[in-house]
Amino acid sequence: MATKANRKPPEEQNEAAQDLTILVIDTDAERAAILEQGLVEAGYPRVMTIRSFSRLASRIALLQPDLILIDLGNPDRDTLEGLYQVTQSLQRPIVVFVDQSDRNMIERAIEAGVSSYVVDGLRKERVRPIVEMAIARFNSFEKLRRQRDEAILALEDRKLIERAKGLLMKQRNLTEEQAYHAMRKAAMRENRKLAEIARILLTALQLDS
Amino acid sequence: MKRRRAGQLPVVRAGFIPLVDCAILVVAKELGFAAQQGIDLQLSREGAWAAIRDKVAHGVLDCAHMLAGMPLAMQLGVQGSSMTMVAPMALGQGGSAITLAPWLVAEMERLDAEAMQGPRAGRNRALAQVIAARRQQGEPQLRLASVHPFSTHHYALRHWLAEAGVDPDRDVDLLVVPPPRMVESLARAEIAGCCVGEPWNQWAVRCGVGELVVTRQEICPCGPEKVLGMRADWFAQAGELVQQLAAALVEAAQWADQEANRQQLLQLLSQESYLDTDAEIIAPVLQGEPFLQGNVTAHIADYQIFYRQQALLPTLKQGQWLLQQMRRWGQLNAAPSEALVQGEEKYSKNDHELLQAIYLTDYLPQLWLV
Repeated sequence: MATKANRKPPEEQNEAAQDLTILVIDTDAERAAILEQGLVEAGYPRVMTIRSFSRLASRIALLQPDLILIDLGNPDRDTLEGLYQVTQSLQRPIVVFVDQSDRNMIERAIEAGVSSYVVDGLRKERVRPIVEMAIARFNSFEKLRRQRDEAILALEDRKLIERAKGLLMKQRNLTEEQAYHAMRKAAMRENRKLAEIARILLTALQLDS
Repeated sequence: MKRRRAGQLPVVRAGFIPLVDCAILVVAKELGFAAQQGIDLQLSREGAWAAIRDKVAHGVLDCAHMLAGMPLAMQLGVQGSSMTMVAPMALGQGGSAITLAPWLVAEMERLDAEAMQGPRAGRNRALAQVIAARRQQGEPQLRLASVHPFSTHHYALRHWLAEAGVDPDRDVDLLVVPPPRMVESLARAEIAGCCVGEPWNQWAVRCGVGELVVTRQEICPCGPEKVLGMRADWFAQAGELVQQLAAALVEAAQWADQEANRQQLLQLLSQESYLDTDAEIIAPVLQGEPFLQGNVTAHIADYQIFYRQQALLPTLKQGQWLLQQMRRWGQLNAAPSEALVQGEEKYSKNDHELLQAIYLTDYLPQLWLV
């Protein structure tokens, strides 16, 4: 288990966290890792992660977590509900986290109190910090992912522009600067991104050839 | 509907799970029936019934393709806070079955060939033989899956087992597996069988990991699998909008039932944004010629219907059956009584009023829509 990075007084930590086993179910390995790390840092050292759905029910029965964290849209939620519906003795609180597109929803849910998301068995004040932590972590993960996606997109755009420029130079006999200038002008005139102009050009020029 | 701007149609956000019986919603949107009725129908594909429930409960979705028992379970607050729900119409009937692993079917044939040659619904006797033999030999319990605790699939499976003297809580290991994971679970031998909606039975048969043993309708005539569920406050507030939506869905259902439109329906459903599957997997379902094992098909009339035989009408009889199942199997935190197990439960006035308020059997007829 990773070292505890939290600085709470030990007795508080004991009361709130040390005795709780938290299970994170997420097929997204990166997100699961971020959640797990966040929970450990927040003083919940007993965190486990399940990434595949295989034999989910028996694995949960074996692990006996006190609390489960899972993405709202994860199909495994139905399996969990089946598990807890049929065997009442296994009931565990389930906390769901939600992706960016449903943010309003979880905010409303939290305003309304976490209780609707939590099965009986654990005091709300102990669940709340975990939920809040999960959401905070989730948001920072989303931000990271967005930044990464943007970076990938920018790279792809650059490749596209380079290819269009090359094709333009060859077919219209232009210098690199002339080709780039022509594309910039088109982009400004059409009020479009340079990458979009490049994509249109590539389609058109490849049709010609 | 809140985001109405000048010149734009009011938006209705509906959730669905990628199964053949989401067809009516897809048709209403894609063929313009919704737009003709003055609605911008926005469909949202969801990964779990739990997500459908939560999103409808918190107003992220206005309404959704729901398992018939879901509105009742939501209203009873079985899984959290109670919420007043309405199901003004159903979304078709059929298209679900019990599929068992080929090795299990072979065992059933070995132990009770007679039951296997009789009507499909009677094959539970053979299954009971296998279960008894396994118990005698100290082998692990069979694991069987359905799709949700409040689904007709779950209740039908339990009913079928119990009818042959198998106690679903003690003699087998019942669990929930989401439909898209059913075939893989069968392939990995994590389950020995399941009761699931199409196209997943067809996938299992075509992949050689399952045999369709009996359809859900053959086990019990318990009405539509799915309904259009919504919160009662949204229903009241949306008023005419729900009528427009219902009209569009009725037209879509009539269209979807016509043989002449089958190819187009297959094309629509197989698209990436809907079922994301091969049209040829869905085709036998719509034709009523599903594959049972290998290349063997059977003619099962009305295997999946959308409009005919009042497939759009929720009934009180079905509501009563669902409530009875919930009680019988201890889902309402009450010990199942002997009367319930025998199916002789007295149906109280409260029950009647509760069901009448949820399953609006008169909604479509009053609008002269069916």
